[in-house]
Amino acid sequence: MKETIVLGLGNPLMGDEGIGVRIVEELESACGKNFPQADFLDAGTGGMSILHLIAGRKKAILIDCALMGEQPGTIKRFTPDQVRSQKILAHQSLHEADILNIIDLSRQLGECPEEVVIFGIEPESITERIGLSFCLDQQIRSYLDLLIEELEEM
Amino acid sequence: MSKNINIHVHHLTRVEGHGNIVVNVTDGTIEKCEWQVPEAPRFFEAMVRGRRWDDIQTIVSRICGICSITHSLASTKAVEDALDIEVSEQADTLRILMHYSEQLQSHVLHVGYLVAPDLFTAPSVVPLVPKAPDAVKTIIRAHRVANQWSDLLAGRTTHPTTLKPGGLTKIPTEKELRQLQETLKATVNDLVTICEVVLSVADKLPNFTRDTEYISLKQDNPPTYTFYHGDITSTDCNGDGPVHIRDWEKVANEYVSPQSTAKWTRWHRDAYAVGALARFNNNADLLSPLGKKVADMFGLKKGNCNPFMNNIAQLVECAHVVETSIEMIDRLLTNGLKEEKISVTPKAGRGSGCVEAPRGILFHTYEFDKNGDCVAANICIPTNQNHANIQKDFEAFVPQFMDRGQDDLRHGMEMLVRSYDPCISCSTHMLNVEFVK
Repeated sequence: MKETIVLGLGNPLMGDEGIGVRIVEELESACGKNFPQADFLDAGTGGMSILHLIAGRKKAILIDCALMGEQPGTIKRFTPDQVRSQKILAHQSLHEADILNIIDLSRQLGECPEEVVIFGIEPESITERIGLSFCLDQQIRSYLDLLIEELEEM
Repeated sequence: MSKNINIHVHHLTRVEGHGNIVVNVTDGTIEKCEWQVPEAPRFFEAMVRGRRWDDIQTIVSRICGICSITHSLASTKAVEDALDIEVSEQADTLRILMHYSEQLQSHVLHVGYLVAPDLFTAPSVVPLVPKAPDAVKTIIRAHRVANQWSDLLAGRTTHPTTLKPGGLTKIPTEKELRQLQETLKATVNDLVTICEVVLSVADKLPNFTRDTEYISLKQDNPPTYTFYHGDITSTDCNGDGPVHIRDWEKVANEYVSPQSTAKWTRWHRDAYAVGALARFNNNADLLSPLGKKVADMFGLKKGNCNPFMNNIAQLVECAHVVETSIEMIDRLLTNGLKEEKISVTPKAGRGSGCVEAPRGILFHTYEFDKNGDCVAANICIPTNQNHANIQKDFEAFVPQFMDRGQDDLRHGMEMLVRSYDPCISCSTHMLNVEFVK
């Protein structure tokens, strides 16, 4: 098992919701070979599967669309302890997921990576559409630069 | 008796729809009792129009993160039906093995993470860890095995990469299959433990029965407790032959209800149910020995019409898929694995694919032009097929349980919805946070 995992989360069929998947794909193809200690994975909307994907790793980097009250296109790096979830879970379906809850569960189980870093990107448009809004699409390069910087610091 | 009840469980955000539960009782008279599904309509069928035959699976696997293998298999089968593509016995067996991994993944997740908190009186699985640590760890271990099983067969846990009309682009090695088989044998004990834990609190499942039509796949040749092959049957068929999957629209009879943006369905009655209990009620005699043993533990018998027992039928199926997979791997290893080439010539055609998602029967139909480009699509998901039945259950449940007071009634209705293992908000999982540091 590689010590680091970089997970791209979201759904490419829902416009900017797919930003995490797009970034991890581009990141791996652009420079995956430069970081042999890291796995890169499009985890899509697998929800609870994140629990297993991060278990036992030293570091997990999660990239996801995030409603943060920022300007569309803004990317923010944060740790789970720096935020509080505003998501209301109905507990009706397995299909809703809150990665902050999953990280909490991982910690309780004693298998959470020492370092969990989240890169949240504020969406402009979440709707049934394949592809990002122009606003996010034109900033992909700068998002990749931030991720590469993160990986180079390891 | 509570003479006045006012329940409004609303869980609606812009893109992550959920079901709303609304009950109004005044002076002991039920004025309103509704299961509302105000989810924004989704347009996945439109997204595949104009796409090539070999692009369909990669798109529809994103409809749902939990049932992505199932959507992939249904679409792949539909494309193969439309383009007259043959699939080898080896590829067919490996696909079923892949499909079983998703059944285990989803069922363990549902019973362990969503139903167990109800039974142990916890708000969610996270606070359950200190309360029942061994049980939670056993559930997580079984779920992890299922995920690794999907990784091996599907290329990754979610959104498969190995499926292609005509076969598989990558197959496991014999060594990997042997390791999987050993892991599954070791998982049997964990499954039995999970069943025993659930049995110890099974009295928390409400004793509620409503005569219901149950619809699922049925496979006669060879007779199999099927998730993948066969035709469509119903507990109301009364000896009538099963319906071919190409005719699924005559079974689903989709219609629009004013209380829902999701389409509802009906066949012989005004509602029907799909899912593990439906499969059990149609095929229980074909379960593996361990599957039958788990059913016996809980006293689950064919003809059961308690929707809460869907959770138990899921446990039965966990045992069945693991035990059956151990045998399937034996067969694959005996025959020896071989690399197979996929060769497809696009042509015009229309085809359907039907498989059992963990939460019930799933239908996909596509039409292609002579270049193999998709010109029409129709998808009917299991949860939509259960909405009308949940409404009918509510109408029977509320009068029986309203004596227990508003909070208990609301909790019972929420448990009832959960027992159907619905897939309502599956296409988006974004974060929503405020910064505290």
